[in-house]
Amino acid sequence: MIAALGLPVRRRPMLAIGSALLLAFLLAALLAPWIAPFDPIAQDGSIRLHPPSLAHPFGTDNFGRDVLSRVIWGARIDLQIAVLGVLFPFLIGTAVGTLAGFFGGWIDALFMRLIDVILAFPFLVLMLSIIAILGPGLTSFYIAMALVGWVSYARLIRAQILVLKTQDFAVAAQSLGFSRTRIMFRHLLPNALAGSLVFVMSDAVLVLLNGAAISYLGLGVQPPLAEWGVMVAEGQAFITTAWWITLFPGLAIVTLAFGFSLLGDALGDLLGVKE
Amino acid sequence: MTGKWARVGLIALSVSLGLGSIAEAAGVLTIGRREDGTTFDPIATAQNVDFWVFSNVYDVLVRVDKTGTKLEPGLAERWEISEDGLTYTFHLRDAKFSDGSPITAEDAAFTLLRIRDSELSLWSDSYAVIDTAEATDAKTLVVKLKTPSAPFLSTMAMPAVSILSKAGVEAMGEEAHAEKPVASGAFTVEEWRRGDRVILKKNPEFWEADRVSLDGVEWISIPDDNSRMLSVQAGELDAAIFVPFSRVDELKKDANLKVMVEPSTREDHLLLNHEHEPLNDPKVREAIDLAIDKQAIVDTVTFGQAQVANSYIPAGALYHNDNNLLRPHDPEKAKALLAEAGVSDVSLDYVVNAGNEVDEQIAVLLQQQLGQAGITVNLQKMDPSMTWDMLVNGEYDLSVMYWTNDILDPDQKTTFVLGHDVNMNYMTRYENETVKQLVADARLEMDPAKREAMYTEIQELSKADTHWIDLYYSPFINVTRANIENFNQNPLGRFFLEDTVKN
Repeated sequence: MIAALGLPVRRRPMLAIGSALLLAFLLAALLAPWIAPFDPIAQDGSIRLHPPSLAHPFGTDNFGRDVLSRVIWGARIDLQIAVLGVLFPFLIGTAVGTLAGFFGGWIDALFMRLIDVILAFPFLVLMLSIIAILGPGLTSFYIAMALVGWVSYARLIRAQILVLKTQDFAVAAQSLGFSRTRIMFRHLLPNALAGSLVFVMSDAVLVLLNGAAISYLGLGVQPPLAEWGVMVAEGQAFITTAWWITLFPGLAIVTLAFGFSLLGDALGDLLGVKE
Repeated sequence: MTGKWARVGLIALSVSLGLGSIAEAAGVLTIGRREDGTTFDPIATAQNVDFWVFSNVYDVLVRVDKTGTKLEPGLAERWEISEDGLTYTFHLRDAKFSDGSPITAEDAAFTLLRIRDSELSLWSDSYAVIDTAEATDAKTLVVKLKTPSAPFLSTMAMPAVSILSKAGVEAMGEEAHAEKPVASGAFTVEEWRRGDRVILKKNPEFWEADRVSLDGVEWISIPDDNSRMLSVQAGELDAAIFVPFSRVDELKKDANLKVMVEPSTREDHLLLNHEHEPLNDPKVREAIDLAIDKQAIVDTVTFGQAQVANSYIPAGALYHNDNNLLRPHDPEKAKALLAEAGVSDVSLDYVVNAGNEVDEQIAVLLQQQLGQAGITVNLQKMDPSMTWDMLVNGEYDLSVMYWTNDILDPDQKTTFVLGHDVNMNYMTRYENETVKQLVADARLEMDPAKREAMYTEIQELSKADTHWIDLYYSPFINVTRANIENFNQNPLGRFFLEDTVKN
């Protein structure tokens, strides 16, 4: 399944741009305390709603907070959302998919019906209800993502395992008397992961947008923390008079999402995963 | 659940598509507002969105004038009050309902007894003072009270006691009548497209019909502030109410528009839950008051359009105490008071209405200001459908709410805020026996001078206790196209559409 690494040269720019974008945001997030020119939550009533200038390249918001600093600090939270929002579903989905695919029978049936039930609800509605029960905040968001988001990974991995376990190397491993655990995790899973890894990248985009949407609705990040979705929501009231409050965090979301999808595409080519 | 991008795009779409077909008929005034009404049954609601349209559709016995400071004759052309203050005799003028039948004292009596007795009524308590209401002849209504009541006449002007047609309600049934009522006011309900708009048509039977110049009115709900303003700017609406503070300066510069900033009785205040430690300590409450920079809130949130509040009775309203204590912004003194009270590491839960621009901004400001006095504030953004229940159940420490007066007399708000009524003093759980007694006494006191003194004392005592924190009084801000004249709102919120002209 894993193709040889002789990838076509013309595909490399995507990989390069994608990783460069992600790296840039990662650096911004890590170095935020040093590179952000101002305190992201410090209010200054004397410089409210100032348009972009040399002192404030992205302008200031209605509390006189520096938008550039908030966008930089926002990278911390939004990257965390993208990573943690994908990590837990990925882990749970992979475990469930492997077990269901390998053992089949009632285990498989049980998990697949559970997945059908979860998929029967619209994704956002289900997530909003879970967050409404748990109370607003990022922790609730991660729990909701973990509870709802794993189903795609489980299905992907299960399908791969079903195919792989009938292949010669798997049958050979079985006849050599290897333990089930060893066959599952040492032989089958590494080969089944490629598709999921690519999916992780495009899923990160969705999670990022979901996180922003949840914060926009007031259920995610709580003020005064800087998060891009919150910033867009807060700036919306001033969109006709002070566009910069909304535009720059909006651009940040788009750019980060773009980086993830470029990397996802490039990885897909690299690992020989068919769309 | 529209995503943010879709929502931004929708602004443009709703402007170009949704409102394309209206405002064609000459003389029909289209008004954009935030939300649609909920009913046309006057007793079954306490919301401004409903009350403000009731005043277009119904008339009342006694009206509040345009300045919002005086009572004037409505359907009752005059009235007498007995010496003991227990008997009110209203003499009704010759007027007709929209179905052509005369408005009689019988209808008025029906209206008053219905608001007192009906299970649907949200206002039973306010009218429980009525003992009997009888029509002695077709045009004379005699109301007997159980006790004297200084605010009684003002309560006759509330939209909740809009005069209904007894025959109309009984023939149609309460439910059908609440959809398409028999009108006693300037306009009739032509059609109500729930969630979208209320279409009103001039009522030719209205006793002041020659005062009405408009052929009709459409109240259109456009929840998004930006799209509502854009619609007026684009000329697709004649008027819009609830102009966001942030847009006033910009709209004022547009020669095609008129922006009206009119005094209101709205007061925004910070509720404190007295049952939760350490808010049960008056020193801590005073410290919070000192830690809040109200002028900064006025500047940031209302763009300087409001006035810092010093009393729960709004400036300009009856018995407002101009000299009431206004604590200055003094974070150092706040810290000292907290130390004196022996509390440290105060951490408070602040319930915020999610999606409310003004509420959210106040929250972010207060969080920072209280932080400077060493008080940690945890913001809890909640859906507005949940916040009210949290206040009722006491699951909060701080929360910002507002109130607009429904009647001239301060008794209604005072009872709600300080009367130790069923609502736990607007959910604050404030308790003070002296204040409680004063509120009850002021209701019975018929001498205006003595009453004013009592209300001054009530304002001083409750401020000394910091029952809540008065933030600011804000105006009603509306916008119309330049060709609209006399689109006015009085401080109680009533629109005088009978005088509005569309040129």
